[in-house]
Amino acid sequence: MKQTRREFIKNNAIAATAAAAGITIPGVKEAIAAGGDDGIRWDKAACRYCGTGCSVLMGVKDGKVVASQGDPDAPVNRGLNCIKGYFLPKILYGKDRLTQPLLRKKDGKYDKNGDFTPVSWEESFQTMADKWVEARKAKGPKGIGMFGSGQWTVWEGYAASKLMKAGFRSNSLEPNARHCMASAVGAFMRGFGIDEPMGCYDDLEHADAFVLWGANMAEMHPILWSRLTDTRLTKKGCEVHVMSTFEHRSFELSDNDIIFEPQTDLAIANYIANYIIQNKAYNKDFLDKHVNFTKTPTDIGYGLRASDPREKAAKNRNKGKLSKISFEEYAKSVEPYTLEYTSKLSKVPKKNLERLAKVYADPNKKVSSYWTMGMNQHTRGVWVNGLVYNIHLLMGKISEPGNSPFSLTGQPSACGTAREVGCFTHRLPADLVTKKDAHCKFAEKTWQIPAGTIPRANGKMDDKDQTDITGKPMGKTLIHAVAMHRALNDGKMNTFWVMCNNNLQAAANFNDESYPGWRNPDNFITVSDPYPTVSAMGADLVLPTAMWIEKEGAYGNAERRTQFWRQQVAAPGEAKSDVWQLMEFSKYVKTDDVWDAALLEANPEFKGKTLFDVLYANGVVNKFPVEDVTDDRGNKYDNDESKDFGFYVQKGLFEEYRLFNSADNIPKKGHEMAEFSAYHKSRGLRWPVIDGKETLWRFREGYDPHVAKGESVKFYGKPDGKANIITAPYEPAAEVPDDEYPLWLSTGRVLEHWHSGSMTMRVPELRKAVPDALCYMHPKDARKLRLRDGAKVKVVSRRGEIETRVETRGRNKPPEGLVYVPWFDAARLINKVTLDQTDPLSKETDYKKCAVKVVKA
Amino acid sequence: MNICGILVHTQPKKFDAVRERLLSVQGVEVHGMSEEGRVVVTLEEDNEDKMAESLHEVQRLEGVISASMIYHHKEDENEAISQEKVQ
Repeated sequence: MKQTRREFIKNNAIAATAAAAGITIPGVKEAIAAGGDDGIRWDKAACRYCGTGCSVLMGVKDGKVVASQGDPDAPVNRGLNCIKGYFLPKILYGKDRLTQPLLRKKDGKYDKNGDFTPVSWEESFQTMADKWVEARKAKGPKGIGMFGSGQWTVWEGYAASKLMKAGFRSNSLEPNARHCMASAVGAFMRGFGIDEPMGCYDDLEHADAFVLWGANMAEMHPILWSRLTDTRLTKKGCEVHVMSTFEHRSFELSDNDIIFEPQTDLAIANYIANYIIQNKAYNKDFLDKHVNFTKTPTDIGYGLRASDPREKAAKNRNKGKLSKISFEEYAKSVEPYTLEYTSKLSKVPKKNLERLAKVYADPNKKVSSYWTMGMNQHTRGVWVNGLVYNIHLLMGKISEPGNSPFSLTGQPSACGTAREVGCFTHRLPADLVTKKDAHCKFAEKTWQIPAGTIPRANGKMDDKDQTDITGKPMGKTLIHAVAMHRALNDGKMNTFWVMCNNNLQAAANFNDESYPGWRNPDNFITVSDPYPTVSAMGADLVLPTAMWIEKEGAYGNAERRTQFWRQQVAAPGEAKSDVWQLMEFSKYVKTDDVWDAALLEANPEFKGKTLFDVLYANGVVNKFPVEDVTDDRGNKYDNDESKDFGFYVQKGLFEEYRLFNSADNIPKKGHEMAEFSAYHKSRGLRWPVIDGKETLWRFREGYDPHVAKGESVKFYGKPDGKANIITAPYEPAAEVPDDEYPLWLSTGRVLEHWHSGSMTMRVPELRKAVPDALCYMHPKDARKLRLRDGAKVKVVSRRGEIETRVETRGRNKPPEGLVYVPWFDAARLINKVTLDQTDPLSKETDYKKCAVKVVKA
Repeated sequence: MNICGILVHTQPKKFDAVRERLLSVQGVEVHGMSEEGRVVVTLEEDNEDKMAESLHEVQRLEGVISASMIYHHKEDENEAISQEKVQ
């Protein structure tokens, strides 16, 4: 049968879709076989967007991506792709890609108020190095700052952590994951002593009931949602409970709609625990063997500046030390959360609350709970994450197929990079922390640098002050993301390097903190990005970045799956990957510039060396020679970084990182990974990987190799192998609506755009579909304000305002008293309106609750 | 040439109605359905704007619970024509 190319392509589309649907369409396979080779090279890559970690096949012809397809061999997405994923090839080819470094200049010299002028990489890095060394010497370890990303590849995060902590001797490194996952991390560490979910996506097929606690999976995790939908439609008795502060697309599949008053999720979780205890439904055997009961200090403030009256009023500001209590004391602590009280406080009808409690309390129903930003971006985020674990622990519904409290991730490598590699101010690779002297010493030994190089959280090694290049003691060295913007604003931090994120658009309170901080005349801001984002335009130096499949990469998704991809195409112009930028920049700074004299006197072999020599030419990172990168079909791939540096950069960094998670002498077991080459051959592996085998459910015998025979369940992140139930009460939000600002504002995302829109707004189809951030509002609220659908309005808070249009019939249907505005829109920066409040424990911003008014524009 | 394969989820009992609605969208063809309600759809539309509109329309149709993109192929018009001639 003769077929045109068009027919051939269409048959390909049908075959791929039918395979994903699990059905055969007659005649299609034969037609494809007859069509033969079309000159396209197909290879796998982890999707660039969210934390789901779908695998996509990218089709490259003549050096350009021409086709894409959901990867049918991927266990995560089984050939499916969401609408953003469908348009993936186009994110590489936006018309305004940055192709050369740009420095603000006037009269041929750097000037903060000058115009962006093309410069060489050499001039860029020399200018930067001068500023960084000056700030480091003048202001100490917090005088400089780097703001990285949960979208960095694993090795980029690793190279950055090493550069800052071991090179610059500074803990001023934070990822944008602070805005996104920090509360989840805090709860994992407090509850289980080890980060990341115990379960995996296989729970989506095993569970009998699904509960969404502040996650709009239909729009934010559409592929996981389609797997959940499949289970709901095909499994008898399966039910879906959807909780949110407003109605959204996930409610279309909901069997139990729960719209609650913001912040009262704390009370609802405690009500469920109380219900389980009152009905004696709890799993006593499990509790006796595997659980400790604790309480956390209350009245802890809202992470605002210390001068804020709300902070002054807090009795236990920022406190989180747990103390042990008995089961009886725990039971008493949740007793006030009766059905009556909780229903009144949350405005959720009693029957809906009771139905939810019954699902958890039924020992025969396997329940999976999912949450994302609704629970993490919360001034009591660590608490509320913990309260959901409490419910699962009370019932023993944890660490087994279908019984799974599961924190979904927003970014593709918030887990794999930001968290696992340790790109936070307080962290080191593989769950090690800078507040532990022994952990720092292990890192120093592994990195072959002198003991005492890495700044401890308290600035002390062996209880003695560490000395800084300033000649003074290091002092306290930790600084979190929101505090960085405040420090820039106050002139205490003078250089800031933002990579692979758009923090000027993303951070809360643009008007009072972010913008004045960035434009402070004392400060030098560098932004590395593929596109001229809001952040790039707010910077002093812009570095063009090779993105995603323009480099060899690795991401780690929400279910602990580490996935690799090869470089598929070349970056445009002079654009270079983040790992190249970090390593190349390190050649411009010497140990003598940033290490104190005493440290160098005691270790003279480090004198006069560049940070590159010390960190990356250390015999470990540069151990592997450049090799031809090929796949099992004989295709060849470039690796631009290896070509430039003369060694296999990605492999060297990854294998050194493995010394933290997989060597024999490591301080914390449980993060083991396979060797580098294993990941290029697989569709990812879920850690811990022991003897080449991945782990699906952690902490349970038979599934997790770290749990010995006869132990049944062991939460081995804790010294006694027991998890913590942590009681915490309902406490009100920092800024609640009042007469002047009568509405709650929640911000968030939409299906078509990912985060700040820096990529998806450059895909014409997505931009056209959802061009502007609208203000979603209840029709009655609109009527009260005499606003017609589509009317121009201002959304106003105590901090600032934006202009947009009202939408009362859209996909999001807020209850009366709440409005929802997405944050992807660079032309309508909703973070001019939001408050820079954080969870005092996790330091994560709460973007879901502040008070606003809406007025006619 | 701009061709896309889409997997649509629907309640099996609503399939007939959903198929009618799908077919009303420009460029859509329906190739089959599984017993569980998974529908194989292609969308062919060379005009990129119209393609985008159709894609979003499919997502918003009554009875469509989820729509996942499976396959996408786009080729430059002139290049595609010359290749068609060759074949």
